[in-house]
Amino acid sequence: MSVRNAILGLLAQHPRHGYDLRAAFEAVVGGDKNWDVKPAQVYTTLDRLEEAGLVECTSDLGEGDEPSRRIYAITKQGEGVLQDWFANGVTPEHQRDEFFIKLMVGLASGKADPWRLIQTQRAYLYQELHAATSLRDSFDPHLEIAQILLVDKAIMHLEADLRWLDIVETRLDEVKNQPLPEPEIRRRGRPKKKTAGSDGS
Amino acid sequence: MPLIETQNLTKIYGSGSTAVIALDHVNLKVNQGEFVAVMGPSGCGKSTLLHLLGGLDNPSEGQVVIEGASIAKMSDDALTEMRRRKIGFVFQFYNLIPVLSAVENAALPVTLDGIKPTESRARAAEWLKRFGLGDRQNNRPDQLSGGQQQRVAISRALVAEPALILADEPTGNLDTRSGDEIAGLLRDVSKKFGRTVIMVTHDPRIAAYADRIVFLKDGKVIDETLLETRKVKNIELVTDKMNEIGD
Repeated sequence: MSVRNAILGLLAQHPRHGYDLRAAFEAVVGGDKNWDVKPAQVYTTLDRLEEAGLVECTSDLGEGDEPSRRIYAITKQGEGVLQDWFANGVTPEHQRDEFFIKLMVGLASGKADPWRLIQTQRAYLYQELHAATSLRDSFDPHLEIAQILLVDKAIMHLEADLRWLDIVETRLDEVKNQPLPEPEIRRRGRPKKKTAGSDGS
Repeated sequence: MPLIETQNLTKIYGSGSTAVIALDHVNLKVNQGEFVAVMGPSGCGKSTLLHLLGGLDNPSEGQVVIEGASIAKMSDDALTEMRRRKIGFVFQFYNLIPVLSAVENAALPVTLDGIKPTESRARAAEWLKRFGLGDRQNNRPDQLSGGQQQRVAISRALVAEPALILADEPTGNLDTRSGDEIAGLLRDVSKKFGRTVIMVTHDPRIAAYADRIVFLKDGKVIDETLLETRKVKNIELVTDKMNEIGD
């Protein structure tokens, strides 16, 4: 969603080719090491935006030997969607957590020691926190404030993750004593007729 | 040779069916100049470990060896002497004397050692200066912020030039920013001034300043993590993490 909206915003700045668009995206996020967007993703997104009528495309015939390229521009409808993005909060995706799924799969499969999983993750997060702390100390406290704030955010998230691991560890026995969540199996076809005395659960 | 080492260090409080094992055969080696954080849930034995390391309490079993000499074999006098010359203590609540100035507080250990007042004050002033308190030497503790008071306390711990600093929740009474400053300062004590620092903390943010984290649980060392300092000056690492966390 954020890539799509960023693309809309960059096209609102001025019309661009796909290639130009990707370069502009990279510049805004501070390089592909920060946030790597593949060309294919840019073009797929542009196709979808065009289908939805949020951008429109014209062909540039190209000068001299240059091949013709498609130039994208934002539509009125696209401007509306962009304004919606600016007007609303951004949902963080904390609940889609790889460590959590690893722990649950470890418990379900019995293939991993959950205590070990927690400790491994903890050690890993401490490495990251140590690195972030040294990195913050390496910045100039007067001239590199934006960078320090970005690292501060990372430090706070790592801290929260570590505290959360402590809580998980404390309550792991309780989790293990509960039946693991199972998928709800839906029968195919027509549901059986309810009989007297059955509550139908 | 490690500066300090524990061998099967065990502490049991009480006896019989009510006995509580606070430390259970802990083997730990800490080298000179190393900064170690000891972490674990409350009641894991981390404070007990620190007290035994400092010779403030006796083990039920096993021993603490400092610079090759076992604490257990020392006479009371020798132990007191060792505590005064080789170990500096830092506590959560600073424990400064309210009627003395910053420099008088910091000079206290060597003043009691019979060193001339001018000499002991000069030594204390030197440490205060290193920690950015050069212009606050004559302030009393109540005229200083929490972070400044803790810096006075760390100066006091260092004034006798000990090889080892033991810190028990040194940032426990400080806000985040002052806590960061004290943790950074303890790192300097280890990295710039070559002292060994062993710190007990429950704060992940503070522990991350150390070279190594020792995790205690139910009196046992359950894991140790070496924290490598990567020399990078770009935000790649952090932003990778943030991308993982979610955009």
